Amino acid sequence: MKWATSCVARSFLKTKSSMFAFLSRRLVQAMLVMLVISVIAFSIQDNLGDPLRELVGQSVSEAERQKLRNQMGLNDPFVIQYWRFLKKAVLGDLGTSYFFKRPALDVILDKLPATLELVFGSTVIIILFSVPIGVFAAIYPKQWFLRLVMGMSIIGISIPVFLTAIMSIYIFSVELGWLPSYGRGETVELYGWTVGFLTRDGLLHLILPCTALSSIMLPLFIRLIRAEMMEVLESEYVRFAWAKGLSRRRIWFLHALKNTLLPVITVGGLQIGTLIAFTILTETVFQWPGMGFLFLEAVNRVDTPLIVAYLIVVGLIFVIANTIVDLIYGLVNPTVRLARSYSEGD
Amino acid sequence: MIAPAWRRFERSYLFYSFRRDQVAIISFTILFIFVLASFSAPLLAPYDPYDPMQIDIMDSEIPPVWMEAGDQRFMLGTDAQGRDLFSTILYGSRISITIGIFAVLLQAFLGISIGLVSGYVGGRLDNFLMRLADIQLSFSTLMVAIIFLAVFQALFGTELYEKLAILMLILVIGIAEWPQYARTVRANVLAEKKKEYVDAVRVIGLGSLRIMFKHILPNTLSPILVISTVQIANAIVSEAALSFLGLGMPVTKPSLGSLINSGFEFIFSGSWWITIIPGIVLVLLVLVMNLLGDFLRDVMNPKLYKD
Amino acid sequence: MSLLEVRNLEVTFASRGGKLIALRDISFSLEPGERLGIVGESGAGKSVAAFAILNLVSRPGYISGGEILFEGQDLTQLSPQEMRSIRGNRISMIFQDPMMTLNPVLSVGVQMTEVLHAHREINSEEARSRALQTLTRVHISSPEKRFDQYPHELSGGMRQRVVIATALLTESSLIIADEPTTALDVTIQAEIMDLLLELCELNNVGLILITHDLGVISQVTQRAVVMYAGRVVEAGPIRDIVRDAQHPYTQGLIDALPQQTSPGKRLNQIQGVMPSLSNIPKGCPFNPRCPLVMDECRTRVPAYTRIGSMRIACHAAGNTQRRSRPHLELSKA
Repeated sequence: MKWATSCVARSFLKTKSSMFAFLSRRLVQAMLVMLVISVIAFSIQDNLGDPLRELVGQSVSEAERQKLRNQMGLNDPFVIQYWRFLKKAVLGDLGTSYFFKRPALDVILDKLPATLELVFGSTVIIILFSVPIGVFAAIYPKQWFLRLVMGMSIIGISIPVFLTAIMSIYIFSVELGWLPSYGRGETVELYGWTVGFLTRDGLLHLILPCTALSSIMLPLFIRLIRAEMMEVLESEYVRFAWAKGLSRRRIWFLHALKNTLLPVITVGGLQIGTLIAFTILTETVFQWPGMGFLFLEAVNRVDTPLIVAYLIVVGLIFVIANTIVDLIYGLVNPTVRLARSYSEGD
Repeated sequence: MIAPAWRRFERSYLFYSFRRDQVAIISFTILFIFVLASFSAPLLAPYDPYDPMQIDIMDSEIPPVWMEAGDQRFMLGTDAQGRDLFSTILYGSRISITIGIFAVLLQAFLGISIGLVSGYVGGRLDNFLMRLADIQLSFSTLMVAIIFLAVFQALFGTELYEKLAILMLILVIGIAEWPQYARTVRANVLAEKKKEYVDAVRVIGLGSLRIMFKHILPNTLSPILVISTVQIANAIVSEAALSFLGLGMPVTKPSLGSLINSGFEFIFSGSWWITIIPGIVLVLLVLVMNLLGDFLRDVMNPKLYKD
Repeated sequence: MSLLEVRNLEVTFASRGGKLIALRDISFSLEPGERLGIVGESGAGKSVAAFAILNLVSRPGYISGGEILFEGQDLTQLSPQEMRSIRGNRISMIFQDPMMTLNPVLSVGVQMTEVLHAHREINSEEARSRALQTLTRVHISSPEKRFDQYPHELSGGMRQRVVIATALLTESSLIIADEPTTALDVTIQAEIMDLLLELCELNNVGLILITHDLGVISQVTQRAVVMYAGRVVEAGPIRDIVRDAQHPYTQGLIDALPQQTSPGKRLNQIQGVMPSLSNIPKGCPFNPRCPLVMDECRTRVPAYTRIGSMRIACHAAGNTQRRSRPHLELSKA
């Protein structure tokens, strides 16, 4: 996985650019991605299901159908129809779900908190465990416990997320009966969001899904952080830091860790797409009432507006998350800071 | 013809390290047995899971033989439809491995071609292709595959889709992962291009294509081998995940993923084996491949793509 | 009391194949404010010796024998905590490549003031003003601006000035500079070297200058130690070494200097290469390359012979054939 360390961010940030140029370029890229997604989404809408059937049923004559099609603009050229779709989409109108008979966007947004909660919980698990374990495994490569963890990590990487989910349900819910196996449990309403982690029941329901969702990424990041950290610890600037008489803590957790984090953040950004895909798997296993679960249901029901709305929302989340990752990268890496007047004179 | 090649391999550093690495030996043995067994499934399996005549619904959910209610006829028990689990797993592994191999062949073909061209031609084309690779990678294979397969399934209807499932899975997984190869091959081409022999060959007047395939490609073989091992494992996992979501192989012709899916609802009633046994088989298969991949990477220490 | 006295220092690298002795029987000393050069080809163990003084030999290497007396205190006996209070505080180090020695993600100011915070009770205001003062002393213009900048915003020469400033911050009594100008542009090498010398002299700081270039050492240091394959082969006042080198290896180094060759002629060079640590030849390690090799050299390691104020490890010492060659230009020093 290490060699997959790509760099959407770094590749175009190599030049020292100002934050403004960086942000505007990011915005252009984000809009391009959204445009591509919207074309895909629209083509799906165009080819999947017949809005007329949903509207009027089967009993209407062919002539009347044609008239209706003309009225609704369904016979217009693709580009014109797409433009219409785009204008509505920008205003938040992504059509009405066939199944729920409600605006598709509303249906999706209702499920958004559940999915975000799941992602948030897993991200916390991943960061909380991977950084210390990876760092210490690099500092103490011979320590038996850390070697054991590293050995286990290759097993962790080899167990697919849905299998971790199933096995944890079998062990902790079916056999031991310790934790609930499906659903979100008790939730509270908070500023219009449903929140699960404020109640004991909601928290208990979060444990297994979050663990399962983080089960592949965690060993992946542990291995990545360890490898990067080992490389950084060998660097000249870390040697120089030792020669300056700094404390071990400062050398490890400031000098070395900050440099280790750069490639890790980049890979983290790359994993966002995978994480979204994994939410679909995790939500399916745990019947977690989130967007992914809803999406699969929509696919089975051929609920086109809902599929389209999901694609757009997920695309937006993807773009926003990537921008946030790039911003964090820019904060850690001074070469992408706000432009300063730097001279090369000596 | 084969003897000298074998002897050369025997003396190679790769083989030398292999003989000294117990994990690699065990992994390779398991993988070898696995592949052999699954591809001779029709010979080894006591039942044919595709033949409805051999399936009796009365035999459903029989636990493995070591459990009390086990039945001598079914070593690993039966699934909800009464199919012998051992046979079904053998056939299922064959499908999983086949999809994995063909998907990776497609990835490798696309990725190597694009990587060679991108690295060799350079300039704007290179820029464009690599940007494309970045975007493709960041979307994640699984996400792209889920969306495409979901749409295709909705378009074609389930029945036609089930017939095309193998092909669709190979295509989707094969196309989505080309950047892995392309980036590594490109990085290697750029490194090789700087070396003198390429100039020398060009001076002789050989064409670009010939230089790429006869002179540069052989030098990128070891990273390709390392990637391929891990990529097959990844492809098998992706296939299993898609099948688990009901977007892959149908239950009538199950891969490991669809087997796990079909048994999932039964773990609540205690019939854990229908899901857990194929699950363990899948993990074992993927694990040994990842271990071999780690071993190859350590030994060959190839120039893999890194940022 | 000497500022630094290294006695019979030995450094060993433990590898799976066994132990390799990287440094053997290294001895030299340095008076306060004195400048000492350590010279040799790459692989001679110069840098290992430098890092050994700070007890920073990278794993799997370790100090396996000898004493390092710094201001009368044996550094090899110190606890990690005590050693830390010496590093960067009493003894500072300047590395070869300023592109690599400064941490790319921390600002110049942070990397300078952290040394003060590590060794002094000092608030950040004072630390900042001390750092700014020192930046001015190394002739960095607009120090306030540089203070907040990151290494990538500075040129190579400026970075090395920052590194030198960092070394001067704590008023160390010894600075070890490992090829401090090699990685810089030729045009500013002399400038940086002069700056380093000037500041050391001004503050009465002892300097150990490590380089492969005997020419540089002959101009700036008072004494020199010539190393070969992990041993000291010749040591003494630079004047004597340059005029009167006894060891064939030192003579070879001197002959190889461009000043020794008339324009248009090939540079002289020592035949062969330095042996690697794992196959150091029996007897005198220099014997396969030595023009004066004798039977004894192949079997017995030469002991040190004293000639005047020089110390030489050569069987032929004292009766070496003297080759006629013009004297090296010595600096005014």
